Amino acid sequence: MTFTVSTINAGVIRLAIEGELDAVTVPDLRKEIDRLATSSPKRVEIDLSSLRMVDSSGVGAIVSLYKRVRGAGGEVVVAGLRDQPLAIFRLLRLDRVMIGADLPVPSANSR
Amino acid sequence: MMPEPALIKIQMLGRLQHRDLVLRSVAAACKLVNARSDNAWNDFRTQVVTAVGEAFNNVVLHSYEGQDEGIVEIEIQTRPDHICIELRDWGASFDPDAVPLPDFDSLPESGLGIFIIKTLMDIQYTPGRPNVLTLSKSLASSAKEHGTVDGEQ
Repeated sequence: MTFTVSTINAGVIRLAIEGELDAVTVPDLRKEIDRLATSSPKRVEIDLSSLRMVDSSGVGAIVSLYKRVRGAGGEVVVAGLRDQPLAIFRLLRLDRVMIGADLPVPSANSR
Repeated sequence: MMPEPALIKIQMLGRLQHRDLVLRSVAAACKLVNARSDNAWNDFRTQVVTAVGEAFNNVVLHSYEGQDEGIVEIEIQTRPDHICIELRDWGASFDPDAVPLPDFDSLPESGLGIFIIKTLMDIQYTPGRPNVLTLSKSLASSAKEHGTVDGEQ
């Protein structure tokens, strides 16, 4: 699993997660989620178009980010889900609240 | 030509670093269930691998609670159109029937694994020394569910 954090514009962050997000790899992402959540972004766009597999611990990390950003008054949109990750989000009824439209093409500086 | 029934046994320490090895073995075993590779088979393999991944997480994180030296035995039996996977551990037991359904409206961050396993595969659990979790699934069930990829009833 790898992830990239990009600043789209002031207060708008895009988090792209690739590969397999599971109990083995999620601790790395948790650190970034903590950092992102404490920065109180206006909007976080989570791009999962290159996420191949996810398990319940990976979903838990994404839900955690969603709840923390929303709890601080921000907005979160999840985009690009397909295949197994999409099936898991649907199974866990998350598609009702977390899946947005396709994201615009990024024009940001990755860091 | 239908594949022959097969029996695969793996034994390892219950560590998360072995998760990938387990899931690759299970994915490979799914090829012994049916040689064809259509949408129903792809769903079958994905559902089996997803469920076993959750089951292995549970053994490592809950039965053994991070003890590095706990043994896990995995026995995979395949026959045409069917797979059965037994996970045996010598850690703490649990009652899968006592695990409450997730409260989806509260957007739970944990407690989802057993729900995923039960939704995707038939399960039996016998606590003891060892605890035995048996997961089984027929390819026909995936074929029937195809179109709702996630196996949701």
